[in-house]
This record gives sequence, C-alpha cells and structure tokens, in this order.
Amino acid sequence: MRYPRLGTSLWPALIAAQLGCSASALAERIDPNDWLNRMGAAVQMTSYEGTVIRIQDGKAEALKVVHTVTDGVIREKVVAQEGDGLEIIRIGNEVHCILPDRKSVLVEEWDDQSTLFSTLPSSQVRFGSEYDVSLVREDRVAGRQTVLVAIRPHDSYRFGHRIWLDTETAFPLQTQLIGEDGTAIEQVKFADISLNKEIHASALAPSVNTENFLWLNQPSQHVKQEIETRWESTDLPPGFRAVATHGETMPGSEEIVTHILYSDGLANISVFVARQDQPTAEGPSRVGGSNSYSASIDGHRITAVGEVPAITVEQIAKAMSLR
Amino acid sequence: MNDQIRMQISAFVDGELPDAEADLLLRRMSQDAELRRKAAEYLEIGRAMRGEASARGIERLQERIAAGISDEPLANEDVPAEESAGRSMRPLVGVAVAASVALIAIFGLQLSPGVDSTNGIDNETAVAESTEDPAGYTVPQPVDDQLIQMRRIHGASTAEQGANGMNARLVNLRFSEEPPAEEDPEEEAADEAADESATLP
Repeated sequence: MRYPRLGTSLWPALIAAQLGCSASALAERIDPNDWLNRMGAAVQMTSYEGTVIRIQDGKAEALKVVHTVTDGVIREKVVAQEGDGLEIIRIGNEVHCILPDRKSVLVEEWDDQSTLFSTLPSSQVRFGSEYDVSLVREDRVAGRQTVLVAIRPHDSYRFGHRIWLDTETAFPLQTQLIGEDGTAIEQVKFADISLNKEIHASALAPSVNTENFLWLNQPSQHVKQEIETRWESTDLPPGFRAVATHGETMPGSEEIVTHILYSDGLANISVFVARQDQPTAEGPSRVGGSNSYSASIDGHRITAVGEVPAITVEQIAKAMSLR
Repeated sequence: MNDQIRMQISAFVDGELPDAEADLLLRRMSQDAELRRKAAEYLEIGRAMRGEASARGIERLQERIAAGISDEPLANEDVPAEESAGRSMRPLVGVAVAASVALIAIFGLQLSPGVDSTNGIDNETAVAESTEDPAGYTVPQPVDDQLIQMRRIHGASTAEQGANGMNARLVNLRFSEEPPAEEDPEEEAADEAADESATLP
C-alpha cells in the first residue's frame, strides 16, 4: 500500500504569508472552519450580480451572473460572454438553457443546489484529518477585502483548495483547485460583483427573444437505485470510505452498472463496474482537475473518476475486487 | 508600479513586446507578485471580457502567471515559456446528465471557442493512450462514450453531495462534443429538431 507524502516544500509561500499576516480578520484568529461554515450559509443566502472568470487548462471564459434567493426559491441567470452566448436561467427547480445560435430552449428540472464553484466544499462537508484548514492572509478580489482560506492535503492522494472569502459576508469570491506542484488546476473568480443588492426581475429575463425558438422538455434519462454490491477497493487511500452505492442505468443502454461513491469528506471518487462483453480502452484520462482510470478485472470494466490526482484513481481502480 | 511597467505588461499581454524585453519582463515577474497579478489581470479580464484574440504563446504563459496569483513558486521555472504549457488537452465533457444528453441527442454540440481541439483526436475512435507533449508531460487522452457518461453521473452524484450544480451544467454545456445519441424518446420532437437544426447555421 502506497502512502506518498506531500513534499514539505510545496506550501512555503503560504506559510511565509501566514507568518507575516497582520490584517484585522486574521488578528481575530477566527477558526477557519467557522469561515467555511459562514461560507456555506453565504452561498445559499446571498444575492449577487457580477462577472465570473472561469479558468481551466489555461483557457478562460467570462460569464455574467445574477443570483438571488427569495422565500427559499433560487432565481439565477448565467450568460456566456463569448462564443454562442449560452444562457442558463433558473427559477426554482425549472431551468431554461437557451442556445441563441440554435434558436432553441431546453427546459429541465434541477433539484440540487446551484453554484458556479466547481470545487467548493459544501456546508455539510466535514472532512477529517487528511487536510489542514488555515487562514493564510488577507487579499483583495473584485475590489473587495477577502480572507484566504487554504485547505491543504497531507498526502498526494488529493488536491488542495484555496478559497478567497469576502471578509464582510464570507461569500467566496475566488476558488482554486491546487495540484501537487502548487499550481492552480482550476480557478473561478469574480472580476466584479455586487453583493446583497436588490435584483430586479428584468435582470433575470432572457437576453434574447425566444418567442420563435424551439422549446424542448427533456426528462432525465439516467435512472439509479440503491443496491448492495460485493465489489470493493482493497487499497483505498487513507480517509476514503464508501458513502453510497447505486445501480445506474446508463443513457442509451439497459445495462445496470454498479456505481460506488468514495469520499474523504471533500474529494469524491466514483467507481463504475460494468460487465465487459468486448475489449475496451484502459488507462488514464484527464479533464482539468478530474482524472479517471479504466482497468479490466474479472471480466468487468472498472472505471474510477474523481477530482483527485491520477495516482488516486489508478490505485483505487486497480484494487477493485469481489469480496 | 509605474506607467512604463504597466505599458510593458499590456504590450506583453498583447504579444507586442519584443522578445528580449519579454524575457526580461518574465524574469521580473518571477520575482514580483504584483507584476504577476497585473499581468494575470490583463490576461484574464481583458482578453476574456473584450474577446480579444490571444497573443501567440500567451496561453502557455497563463499557467506560470496563475502560479504567481496564488503566491506559489513558479513550477518549472527554468522551462522556457513556449515549452512550459502544452498541458492543456482536449476537454472531454462535464458532469451533469439531462441537459447534455438532450442537447447532444437532438442538436449535437459545437466546440466552444475555449475547447482545444488541436490534437486532432476523433472522440469516436480515440483509444486510451498517452501523448508526450513538447514539455515532456504525459497527457492522457479521453477514451470513449461510456467514460463520458460515467463522468456525467459522477458529477451529478457529487452535486447531490455538495453544491456544484450550476458549474457542472456549465462545464457540460460548454465542453460536450459527443456524436449524436442513438434515439430520442419523443420521436416527433426529434423530427422537428432535426428539421430545425438542418436549417440552422
């Protein structure tokens, strides 16, 4: 069993900054976990309007966003500022994805919480001893004072996180997923933002006239059910445990695939076990911070996917076996 | 920071700074977090908001500058700028299910401007293999449709655990590039969509 340790030299700038900090928020020595709890509430409750820059694999994308919650109902709009001008408008659980260049609107139901941040720990997250959480320093993002919270992994099996929280509201103005070499793998930041301002209804209206568009109502084609399975990984990295097991019917197929979700409280890894009727591709794959690894074991195709380093999905996939 | 430096950074971001001056500026940026922040600001906001064409090689510098934003030591400091990136790969898909399935089934999706398709790998025929890029990084390639679906389901599952919904949809909608699915439950709608898409650009 391999437990690679994260090099001590990977966070020197953060440590130096921490030692040198003297700003007011840090001086108060608020528990960084309290900041994360405040953040969880702020994400759910804060109304905002602004411009978000998303960066992944060195590519930047700008989005105009409007978000408000009234009487528990989420209302929001996201408009891509480049390319095809994609708009997503959400009122409660009903979501309209508007594709101006296709003159089409896709209507669907979302029942999960909604934020733009790909790597944000939720308020329910309670990660254990595999990470350290600390306040690093104060900074400015989108013209506002922030405090930088760093979530540092103890080993190389998971990524780190940096979250810049608005000092006044604890709203996350910037998030980064940090790789083992200390660089940002994915990043979301506000270039400008107005917090807790009154959002006018017109701000949530479509930017284009959709009267003559083709409207499509698309139900989910993905069906899942809770099951028990004899499949397990015999070499899980420290801190990971199975948190859910489902039988999934994949879109376009009637075959039920076993889906085991492992989590260390912050990073999540899905392992899919599918009957293998014919040889399929094996090996690693990556998109931004998401890695996957496929292997053939006992006549099944095993695929591990997660926002963790490549070594983690490979180790878990290769160690899958029947109890 | 004086105006001259700002102008230098601006010219650098626009790809108009002579090589010798660019090298000097890069060295200064490696030592000066403020310069890196300013360059990153020009890169990220200016280019993204105004839709400017990216300067040659500038995207490759973005990783170095992103490292500067986070106050971390620059990775591969000794690697020339032109060689330090090349890590970007063809984005595969996002993670949610319903929207992309419908969009792909009915319309198909175009590559967004942010998608790097320069590696020329056909998604339908791609196999699990690694590409050695000029910087020496091993870049795993996307594999097949089944993996795409698994990534989506994983994203939906983690969205249930946390609060990633909107981002999952965005990633999905922006980067999906699959071939059309085999069938659509609403035959009439599919026919209409086919007719409609045939008339669209």
